[in-house]
Amino acid sequence: MQTQLPVLKRTAKVVRREGDKLAIEYMGQEVTLEGAAARLLDKMLPYLDGSNGVGSIAERIAESPKRVQSLSQQLGQTGVLAFKDDDGERITGEQFYEIHRKYVNHWLQPIYDHPLWEKIVTGKASRAQVLGFAFEKYHYIEGAFEHMAIAAANATPEMMPHLARHFIEEYNHGDIYRKGLRSLFPDDTVLRAQPLPSTRALVNFLSESAGRNSFGYYAGNELLQMTENTGDDKDASSIDDFYAAMRKHYPYTDKVIDSFIAHTNADQKLGHENVFLEMCQSIPPLTRAEVDDALNIVRSMAEHLFLFMDGIDTFYSRFPTMPRAPSDLLSE
Amino acid sequence: MGQQFGVRRVYETAPKGDSVSVRLSDREVQLGSREFALYEKLAERVPSVQSEKEIAADLGMDEARLRRLTTALESAGLLYRQDAVPATLSGVDLHTLFNKILPSWLDEAFSHPFWERMTSGNGSRRMYSGWLIELYHYTRNANRHMPLSCAHTKEKAIKNMRAKHYAEEWNHYHYFLKALKALGFSEESVINSVPLPMSLALSNFMRQAAREDILAYSICSAVLEGTTVNRGAYNPYYEKCAELYKLPQESIAPIYAHLDLDVQYQHSDLFLDILNTVKTIPAARAGRVLEYGHQLVEHIWLWTDSIEKYYGVDSNPMPRPKFSKLLD
Repeated sequence: MQTQLPVLKRTAKVVRREGDKLAIEYMGQEVTLEGAAARLLDKMLPYLDGSNGVGSIAERIAESPKRVQSLSQQLGQTGVLAFKDDDGERITGEQFYEIHRKYVNHWLQPIYDHPLWEKIVTGKASRAQVLGFAFEKYHYIEGAFEHMAIAAANATPEMMPHLARHFIEEYNHGDIYRKGLRSLFPDDTVLRAQPLPSTRALVNFLSESAGRNSFGYYAGNELLQMTENTGDDKDASSIDDFYAAMRKHYPYTDKVIDSFIAHTNADQKLGHENVFLEMCQSIPPLTRAEVDDALNIVRSMAEHLFLFMDGIDTFYSRFPTMPRAPSDLLSE
Repeated sequence: MGQQFGVRRVYETAPKGDSVSVRLSDREVQLGSREFALYEKLAERVPSVQSEKEIAADLGMDEARLRRLTTALESAGLLYRQDAVPATLSGVDLHTLFNKILPSWLDEAFSHPFWERMTSGNGSRRMYSGWLIELYHYTRNANRHMPLSCAHTKEKAIKNMRAKHYAEEWNHYHYFLKALKALGFSEESVINSVPLPMSLALSNFMRQAAREDILAYSICSAVLEGTTVNRGAYNPYYEKCAELYKLPQESIAPIYAHLDLDVQYQHSDLFLDILNTVKTIPAARAGRVLEYGHQLVEHIWLWTDSIEKYYGVDSNPMPRPKFSKLLD
């Protein structure tokens, strides 16, 4: 134990509270220490960068190694502290599934908090933003033709059956959205419309990931699927409320909203909730480098999804032309 | 109406007394405020499923008056007839058209408030450094798309030109690394960092273009080169930032060296050299090429937006480290 190198997680934030309390905010949770434990952690903090052993820290802060070891162990169990020499072992796919769930719930939070949702629900979003939201969702779903096909074509043997099925079941879902948009625009206009750079970014990132890391791609895709998940009553009700408010403020999107709901229903009928778990159960154990690579894809997917939302909000506010017709020799 | 008419891209509208000035790439059109309101309503409805009769009713007129309005807007250059789009054009003609449009595209690309903010002293050294980090990533990621464009080109002459361009550019990210080191960043932290999604998106978009059509790729490359040919345009930005944010001269010098090298290589002529080898381009392909060029412009705008938003928050890590299960 004395040779372990404790490191405070980079994303953990230490906050001083009233009295002698110290709180560590990490992944939406909070660990609070007070009294002697808070004072000990305060002294340990400058040395928790992964370059000092427990014994060395104890020596530097003139504390007993046993106390430093005990607090490090307890903080390690909460997840806010890691130990740099814990890097040799492989983890099973099922363990990865649990880790994935934990991080994804945290990484999705900024997307749920994006101001565009509030603008649509309160009727403050412009026509271009609302129709843009519908068009960009269409482009993103239509993008399945690209990334799901690339994923299937580049799949590892373990992932191939899952990715083949994934493409076959979902390649035509863009047509569900297209049907909604056809209530407002001619079919040809919908088909020729151009996505925003931010939507293109999401689809291209999916395609690039699909071409180089089958498992990482699906782990990232799972994050996207989780935003469509209306499995529990609370989620389902908040999505219903969102659509109801959108219909109220933007009655011309009625058919478009029907298509959103039809798509959610189509996804639910496929029963994809357990597919990722099944995948995780079917893969060989992962090295730390493989775990980090897959989770880097997942984190980046969350950032791309945020960009997708932000692009609709920001770009259509500044450049409200709708729909985005392609260039021709006279348009520019 | 969308079958019959197209709407010209408007780059800027500005009120001028009782009228509104509408700027196209080749002219400015003055419309009375009432005419402008009608134009806006019509432009919105041209691509809709509404019939001419319904559009006329929406605009509070009959169909005959609607036809007179569309004819007037067509004469002013704001609308065009779809059947007036030429069936083909030569490579040189496409370059002539590109040259006419490019200034408007560049204006749009750099219309983000970030630039005004930086040169008016409302930016920060952190924001300047962040922009440089993303430029480092973009330049390093040229290695993800430039060789791909060579691999997907079929014509030998174009393949050679693209390969030469790659050979001259592949390691230019060192200039930005040098500038970042002068700003106090360690080489390791920059090399091991991850770009913002929009920086990655730029190179992914170039990869998409490289796979689809070498002319689409080349117009994107030409737009990017177009951002670096004019020393008069970029020098004041760097000089002002250096003065406002106390940037060391060593952090600016490598950037000038890089820009000078680009000018020396005459990379801005490459698109013309490539198009000189193309005798005829069908309208659909030429349109797609222009679409790529304009989307690249939009990418630059949104890229700038992302840089401002991310580096504008002091608590965001800079440079951005890769995710590590152990450390995060």
